[in-house]
Amino acid sequence: MNQGPLIFLGVFFALALSWFGLVFEPQLQLGNAQQATNVVNPTQLYPQMRPGQARQGLDVYRSLGCAACHSQQVGQTGRTYDVTLTDAGTNRAEVIAALLKVKPGSNTAEVEKLAAGPMPQTILKNVPRAVADAAVAKLEPTGAKAEVKIIPTGPDITRGWGKRRSVAEDFLFDQPVMLGSQRAGPDLADVGSRLPDANWHLLHLYNPQILLKKSVMPPYRFLFEKRKVGREPAPEALKFSGEFAPERGYEIVPTDNARQLVAYLLSLRADAVIFETPITVARPPAASTNAPAAAATNAPAK
Amino acid sequence: MNPDVNPSRTRQEAEPTSGSAQAPVWLFVLVAVLAFWGMGFLDNYGGGFDPRVYEPYSARTEVERDQPSTRGRERFNAGRLAFLQYCAPCHMETGLGNPANNVPPLVHSEWALAEPPNRLIRIVLNGLRGPVKVDGKDFNSDGMLPWRDTITDDEIIARILTYVRGNGEWGHNASEITAEQVARIRDETKARAVQWTVDELLKVSEK
Repeated sequence: MNQGPLIFLGVFFALALSWFGLVFEPQLQLGNAQQATNVVNPTQLYPQMRPGQARQGLDVYRSLGCAACHSQQVGQTGRTYDVTLTDAGTNRAEVIAALLKVKPGSNTAEVEKLAAGPMPQTILKNVPRAVADAAVAKLEPTGAKAEVKIIPTGPDITRGWGKRRSVAEDFLFDQPVMLGSQRAGPDLADVGSRLPDANWHLLHLYNPQILLKKSVMPPYRFLFEKRKVGREPAPEALKFSGEFAPERGYEIVPTDNARQLVAYLLSLRADAVIFETPITVARPPAASTNAPAAAATNAPAK
Repeated sequence: MNPDVNPSRTRQEAEPTSGSAQAPVWLFVLVAVLAFWGMGFLDNYGGGFDPRVYEPYSARTEVERDQPSTRGRERFNAGRLAFLQYCAPCHMETGLGNPANNVPPLVHSEWALAEPPNRLIRIVLNGLRGPVKVDGKDFNSDGMLPWRDTITDDEIIARILTYVRGNGEWGHNASEITAEQVARIRDETKARAVQWTVDELLKVSEK
């Protein structure tokens, strides 16, 4: 029986369909992605190209196989909302009446304390969007100002690995994208804002157990150079304390690769607020008084 | 009995032939039900195949409704552009200054974050020269420009300072500065024509 054409067609359509769904369609959807504007500050574009040293660091990250143990994708499974009172207004009686209605199971004394306390005050915690919106709608006509806070939730966010989920935009300028698939170590999508100290990263690369006793990460000592101290210790030499320090007269200096890798790690920040991932970020507190107050409390040291 | 006949051959089963049998109806029903369920699942959780809708959102309207409000951030937001225009040439967009040229950083600067900001506003209006200690490091500036006559709009100075003081990316969270605060200090120091020095600033008695 000559089933050749039939088999050919079957294989052709199976491959064509998967190419269509897995390659062509995503390319149509995301292929022409551009920098997005930051939602809370429209004058900022996100993402920015990584600085040159960090871009070289991506290659180091890739060549050392960091992606075998570290992912760069924060998941988010849900969201919850808080309602905060940002301004109690002037009509105290009405605000308190509205607060009593909004906050179930509260008494007048509690609510009065809320309205008098320093702003912002959290009124409702972990409520669905509809409840939060209803609360704001009840409070605003009284002259008070209330705000709905959007809080992403999920196991990764609980672990502190990110403030929000990762989205395609975060990887716009990376080639290749170091998504990773295994998590022998923590997720690094937002490590730059989690651990912003370059020295910490250098020490951690030299020997992770200096900083984290239980770490299973291998030391990357070959990224550092051990050499005799010259006339003066090098300013970039690692500063040790205790048993991990090299013997007297020697110092540990990071190589270019170590510095590039750290620059890359510090550039990993997924905290911008863009359309796809709305979160509420802190905003500058309002001016305390209309006019400058008395003597500076935070006087600079002489 | 014929000895030529191999007994094993006679017991061999007949050659299989292809025929047809009816597929069970329940299989088709199951496939139909699964397809229907899959369609419903995609409808509910697929975000309408919108590339900008991610879990946990299931529709673009939901994402749109969740966009955070920019209320109360107008001055801060506007401040960024003014900062880039007037301050970033020396203090850099990152606010880290240019220590090689004696330009102190704004990030974590106790002068910028001081509460109340009286001295900060004076520095911007008249400039600063001489030795100054910022964030634990010593700088000896030849002179920061006075902006009194260049930026005549108090609101713009208020925006810039609000941006510098409230910039979360730099780890700042100091209070907003209003145009009234700037106007008041501009008026108080209108007789002054020279830059401040640190000693003079520390003597400023704030009212």
